[in-house]
Amino acid sequence: MRLFQEDILKNIQFEDDLILKVDHLQTTFYTHMGQVKAVRGVSFDLRKGEILGIVGESGSGKSVTAMSIMGLVDEPGRVSGGSIRYGNLELTKLKDSEMNQLRGKEISMIFQDPMTSLNPVFTIGQQLKEVILTHTSLTGAEAHERAIQLLRMVGIPEPELRVRQYPHQFSGGMRQRVMIAMAVSCNPKVLIADEPTTALDVTIQAQILELIQNLKTKLDSTVILITHDLGVVSEICTKVNVMYGGLVMESSDVIDLFENPQHPYTNGLLQSVPINVRGEKARLIPIDGTPPDLLKPPSGCPFSPRCPHTMGICQKEAAPLFRINDRHCAACWLHSPEAPQVPGYVQSKVGEE
Amino acid sequence: MRNYYIQRILSAILTLFLIASLTFFMMHAIPGGPFSRERSLPPQIQQHLEEKYNLDDPLIKQYFDYMVGLITFDVGLSFKKPGYSVSELITLGLPYSMEVGFYAILLIILLGVPLGIISALKQNKPVDYFVMFIATLGVTVPSFVVANLFLYFLAYKGGYISVLWPTEPGINPTFLQFLGPVVALSGYSLSFVSRLTRSSMLEVMRQDYIRTARANGIPRSKVIFKHALKNALIPAITYLGPMIAGILTGSFVVEKVFSIPGIGQYFTQSVTDRDYTVIVGTTAFYAALYIVMILLVDVAYSLIDPRIRLGKRSE
Amino acid sequence: MNKVAYNNFDFLPPEAKSDKEQTRPSLTYWKDSWRRLRRNKGAMVGLFGILAIVLFAVIGPLFTQFTYDQQVNKYKNVEPFLNVYEVDEGVFVFVNIDYYAYQISEKGELIDRLSGKRPEKNIAEGIWRYHYNLNGKDLILDYSYKQVPEKAGEGIAYSFIYDGVEYKEKAKTVWNKTYPLGTDNLGRDMLSRLMEGARISLLVAVVATVVNLFIGITYGAIAGYAGGRTDDIMMRIIDIIDSIPLLLYVILLMVVLNDTGLQTIILTLGLVYWVGMARMVRGQVLQLKEQEYVLAARMIGVPKHKIVFRHLIPNALGPILVSMTMMIPTAVFTEAFLSFIGLGVSAPHASWGTLANDGARSIQTAFYQLLEPSIGIALAMLSFNFFGDGMRSAFDPRLRRG
Repeated sequence: MRLFQEDILKNIQFEDDLILKVDHLQTTFYTHMGQVKAVRGVSFDLRKGEILGIVGESGSGKSVTAMSIMGLVDEPGRVSGGSIRYGNLELTKLKDSEMNQLRGKEISMIFQDPMTSLNPVFTIGQQLKEVILTHTSLTGAEAHERAIQLLRMVGIPEPELRVRQYPHQFSGGMRQRVMIAMAVSCNPKVLIADEPTTALDVTIQAQILELIQNLKTKLDSTVILITHDLGVVSEICTKVNVMYGGLVMESSDVIDLFENPQHPYTNGLLQSVPINVRGEKARLIPIDGTPPDLLKPPSGCPFSPRCPHTMGICQKEAAPLFRINDRHCAACWLHSPEAPQVPGYVQSKVGEE
Repeated sequence: MRNYYIQRILSAILTLFLIASLTFFMMHAIPGGPFSRERSLPPQIQQHLEEKYNLDDPLIKQYFDYMVGLITFDVGLSFKKPGYSVSELITLGLPYSMEVGFYAILLIILLGVPLGIISALKQNKPVDYFVMFIATLGVTVPSFVVANLFLYFLAYKGGYISVLWPTEPGINPTFLQFLGPVVALSGYSLSFVSRLTRSSMLEVMRQDYIRTARANGIPRSKVIFKHALKNALIPAITYLGPMIAGILTGSFVVEKVFSIPGIGQYFTQSVTDRDYTVIVGTTAFYAALYIVMILLVDVAYSLIDPRIRLGKRSE
Repeated sequence: MNKVAYNNFDFLPPEAKSDKEQTRPSLTYWKDSWRRLRRNKGAMVGLFGILAIVLFAVIGPLFTQFTYDQQVNKYKNVEPFLNVYEVDEGVFVFVNIDYYAYQISEKGELIDRLSGKRPEKNIAEGIWRYHYNLNGKDLILDYSYKQVPEKAGEGIAYSFIYDGVEYKEKAKTVWNKTYPLGTDNLGRDMLSRLMEGARISLLVAVVATVVNLFIGITYGAIAGYAGGRTDDIMMRIIDIIDSIPLLLYVILLMVVLNDTGLQTIILTLGLVYWVGMARMVRGQVLQLKEQEYVLAARMIGVPKHKIVFRHLIPNALGPILVSMTMMIPTAVFTEAFLSFIGLGVSAPHASWGTLANDGARSIQTAFYQLLEPSIGIALAMLSFNFFGDGMRSAFDPRLRRG
């Protein structure tokens, strides 16, 4: 489809199964009120076949991280530091037109509110075909067939009929399925789902999550699932990053996270949510305080004002990620060898990452 | 879907009927007929005139005659221009109004919409401020001020164009001649359309479905001109319909200033002269044109926005 | 802030954890909107313009020598900026549009019209002249320069001849201090007339808008609150009224009522333009009546009319204010428009519209008579529109912060 542009993906290579490597990503919004530092140094690896959950409250920077990966951060914001590598491609250095070759084809994203995410004046079929025709060399008729196929794949009954219908003729859950169909239409390697179930009924939620999981297996792709709901995480994620105040607080295998949380924030989250992986009865304990103001981010650890175990150093410097084991790390000074033991809180003290 | 159209057409006819009746009764509510303002005529002559124009018939009969006439496009004879029927006057004046009106509409669509889009895309940059400033001026400075300024500088001071509109057969007005009336006529609407297009583009560009399109790798130009524009034009079209009717019929003032013998002129003249049949006839004509345009707009609307066409049904 | 230094790995007592409170001073809707309005430069310029015009209209007449209807015959059609010729030591003259000659002081104060104007024309010999009496001697105006082809090359329109000397060039251009904006064709001071025009135009606009306000708000509130059938019917009526340009109604009404007095115009404007306000108020009421405090009031048993007038309308005041500010320029424009086509206020009252209409008749000879009221109208509309635009942005609840 692109006439005069170089094919970015010509020389792409992946090492082992490392699909995406995010290194000290910083994204800032330059507003007239000041600089809002939404993402302040996030790093993680995404390996093939994972379902990475990024958990955090509003303002933690999780959505902005995803938008940064997609290159969809608009004025007055932009990626202000760090790197995002997709294979051997440095995404932060690409132009918008070059990113378009990746978006929808290699990396896809679906968003939170399906009711408003589809263009009301075009049919579902037209919107699906457009994506297909942009990234592949199928003919119009072939694209039409593929669209029907996709609708069937995501579980929409009577797809031949539905493909000619307009978004307002679909319910919320159906529209989200259509969104997913659009996102996977060109077999992307990475699917980013930003709170895909938040706006849906609980019953539909489960269906959508199942769909995502199935598709991931079928298309052999990797998923980043952004959510504030730990329940969702426990359902399908394989790995979890817990974010707060623009930084990653803890990163772990999903089971390890629930059984052996190693960050006071994660701990607080687990105690304040009415699900209990361990099946015990416990009180709901909310976390005191409010999220930080990203215009003037606190020096040191962003969670320090609300942490029950704050130490002197926590206010001076943000903690690096301490490695707990080979699948689990936490950004908390409590893991430093010099830190005292906290009664009732299990810390492992291993060296720095 | 057909229901929608039928409903609209019926509604339009009803409104037209009401307006025509209203105008008729308003005219006849004026004390004294059209002839009582002249220097006192001898009573026999006055009576004779009234007879001739059927003014002495009972009101209901006059009303009935009028309504029937309306359907056959015969709205009677002009009182003050003997020998001319109202429909003749309208047919005489229409081409002039339409010619100027046509250029004005062209200007509005071809300049107003693109300017609005450019302003929206370069929001808060110098281009935006500049265009919006001119647009605000256009919306606020009244058309007769603009018209007079043009007339003064182009005709009187500069002598570039003639003061009176050329009406001899075979002589076409020059570009400069058209400039004044077209700009004065289109000034307000041009500015309004720019502002409207701009704000609706801005609104649309913030929508989630635009974000979806971009996330799917659709090239930026396509996102703007295909996805955004179609949605953004909906409010513009709503405005365009009635606007076209107003412009085609020529603004009263612009025609007066430039001495264009269009319908607007006849209307204003008839108002001053209290020439009732002409007033009633032209008002009915205006109303009819206006309502037809609104109807067309509704149709266009339904073609673009499927939610209107198919009725909002969610499963 | 504590000055005590804590060791790196000691636990901090709760007071030391500075939890920056996120609360900003909470602003009421009004304070927030007013703040935003003040920052909007366009709106402030508009407000300044409005105040200037109001002052001009109200206080201005105290500072002029003339009233708006005072006719001074000898000073008809005198321009504001005059080309004066010094025909003798300290003696300055100029000629007006109608070829009357006047003596004027060097600073620009009118002294008197010269008497004895008589023409002398002999086309065959190329004589195009007027004679006047100036201080006992004969002053000649020679305006053959534009009529006789041979003289066209000199590039002037006329010259003065006095005491045997011909003056082809003006001494200077002076600002008419007696009539700073010139006079009209009946010898009336343009400045005073403009002030009167401002008064009338503003009066009509504001009062008509207030009438619109009352009718519109009541109609809209009732329709919105009643809902259901009543609402449907009421809106249908508005739709029908709205289906032809409101201007037509105004014109028709004016013709029917056959009276161009001030009250009639105000009444006519008031009776027609309320539909916009009604629509908007209805929309607001529809939105607001679902709010909880309305439910609470109904639960307590507050009677309907009290709910409408004491709860709903005050909360819709923001958009109402904005609409009002935008209706005033429409009213100014409509009144001027009506006057321009001959349906405006009648003599001797003068609105800007009538002044413009009068001036339009002399567009070729005395352009200033048209220009001045036109500028007045344009400035008024600009000011109100800028201010109204600013109000609209400032009161938009979606843009609220804090």
